[in-house]
Amino acid sequence: MEPVVKRLRGVVVAHWKEIVLGAVSLVVFISAWWALHVYYANQGSVYAEYLPSPKDVWSTLVGLFERPDPYIRVPFSEHISASLERIAFGFVLALALAVPAGLLMARFKASHAVGRPIVELFRPIPPLAWVPIAIIAFGSFLGPVAIVFLGIFFPVLFTVMLGARSVEPTLIDAARTLGASRFAVFEKVIFPYTVPYLMTGIKVGLGIGWMCIVAAEMVSAKGGGLGYFILTMSEFGAYEEMYAGMVMIGVLSVLTTGVAGIFENFVYRRMGMK
Amino acid sequence: MDRKVLIAIVLVVAAIVVIGAYAATVLMRESKGGSVYYLKMAPATMAAALESGSVDAYIAWEPFVSEAVVGHTGEVLMWSDEVMPNHPCCVVAVSTNFVEGPNGVELTERFLKAHVEATQWMLDSLEDSQGSNYTLLVTLASEFTARNTTVVEEALKHLEFRYQVDSVFTSALEEFVDLYVETNQTTPQEIEDRGYTSVSDLVEKYVNESYLEAAADVQPSQTVINPDDPIRLGYLLGDLHQLAQYVAADDRVLGGSQSLFEKFGVNVEPAIGAPYANGGVVMDNFAAGNVDIGYLGAPPALIRHIKAGVDVSIVAQANIEGSGLVVKVGSEMSGLDDLVNKTVATPGETSIQHLLLRIALDREGLDLVLKT
Repeated sequence: MEPVVKRLRGVVVAHWKEIVLGAVSLVVFISAWWALHVYYANQGSVYAEYLPSPKDVWSTLVGLFERPDPYIRVPFSEHISASLERIAFGFVLALALAVPAGLLMARFKASHAVGRPIVELFRPIPPLAWVPIAIIAFGSFLGPVAIVFLGIFFPVLFTVMLGARSVEPTLIDAARTLGASRFAVFEKVIFPYTVPYLMTGIKVGLGIGWMCIVAAEMVSAKGGGLGYFILTMSEFGAYEEMYAGMVMIGVLSVLTTGVAGIFENFVYRRMGMK
Repeated sequence: MDRKVLIAIVLVVAAIVVIGAYAATVLMRESKGGSVYYLKMAPATMAAALESGSVDAYIAWEPFVSEAVVGHTGEVLMWSDEVMPNHPCCVVAVSTNFVEGPNGVELTERFLKAHVEATQWMLDSLEDSQGSNYTLLVTLASEFTARNTTVVEEALKHLEFRYQVDSVFTSALEEFVDLYVETNQTTPQEIEDRGYTSVSDLVEKYVNESYLEAAADVQPSQTVINPDDPIRLGYLLGDLHQLAQYVAADDRVLGGSQSLFEKFGVNVEPAIGAPYANGGVVMDNFAAGNVDIGYLGAPPALIRHIKAGVDVSIVAQANIEGSGLVVKVGSEMSGLDDLVNKTVATPGETSIQHLLLRIALDREGLDLVLKT
């Protein structure tokens, strides 16, 4: 216990300015939200119902964990796990394809020539556009996963490509001169050089994955999900529940990015970069 | 080979095996028995989903029922009037802000006159399937729904256009709200907070027949009353139930010189973003001030008014009945209890189709739960 407390205290002492500023920014945001709600409520405007107070949203969020909503009648924890599952699958699939593809396209002229037109063609199409066909083609589980996959794939691919291309040629030449094989060059120079870019790609990709979750779950989401929950609540006009779902996505996104950050630190430490 | 590389390969293979095994369990996961499962789906994609086997049945509005029947992929297990005879479906709603605005009352009455005439024209045209008006009606229906004439001809048989507001209508609305209360989707407290003493008081005030009654005396107008300030109309994408507004806006109906809307002196144009995906979106646009008059299903009009206070009133009906539960041809399903442990696609929890299916299953002692 002792060293952990000591380390935490060390972090707080070293970063107290950031912590205070962060807290102030959150407090200001929530007050502004609350003030706007009170302003509408005092006017008797219908917008007060579209923007419930943070307190109501909070108590709704807490209540959702105790009993399921009366509209979809699925426990909130199941919505969360359904969405997490989708993000996880989409993310792993995207990573498994984007990393090798990115490395190949960055290092070999032929694979770049083959891959580039396809990538450039598909990259600007928003994942949302694929929703109706993904549901029919892949069904109610893999369909939404495919949407998340599309959202994550391209940012990861491009960061990996960028990383693998920015390796200084002199480093490769040096390694070759010292007698390294092509594989050794890849293992000892190119891949390590790409890792920081890959880490950025992972963090960006996870964030985009959460951004895609509502689109992914727009139709036919087996087992529900937070995106499905948010959309359905808005259709019923149950706005407190809707905002509670949005807050939950924010919290989960912060948590997953946080885990990615810890992983990043671990990798950097192993590689001796920190 | 390097030991490090070996470890890396082993790790990657292990990860793939673990992820693959988990994916298999997710995909094979069976829902626990004893209920009927649903998935939300856009009606336009339901027939394809039924054919691909991703759902075992679907419930939707016309023409998406007849689409599967005509295409020989589906057969109808139950029509919606078997659940509730003469059940209300789509209605015409008017924004309170619009009625209270300049010329609001007169424009509403004139709009409704055109709605009534268009509905009457459709009913008359349907009487004689050899007549030229019938051919025109089928053409218009086909254009509006983007479905071929065989599909819309079949679909037109299964719904009834109807504008009148009567006691069958209001008591059905009360039944819907009662069900919402029973299932906790709203509470008596919420209804009271909106300023109504009871469910019947809510329906009585929310449905306003006075404009429809006044519309009976509206005469054709030489001039358009609102040339620069059109009525912004909200309606749903390709919903055959709402054909009246398409008929009223088309000048072929009166022989080519003017539309029914023009005849009665109103300038109407689609609202921003219209046609909409579902009734909830129509209510959103009412709330945002984008829509003056809208066609939508009765249940979303009710629940959104109760839960979010969207300030509109129901002024006429558009149609009754006209939804159906479709199963695959040759599936040998003969009754609702054959749907146990099967998956039905519905247009979503707010829709009347979902509500009626829930009522029908409830009578058989079955529950409708989200597919997991």
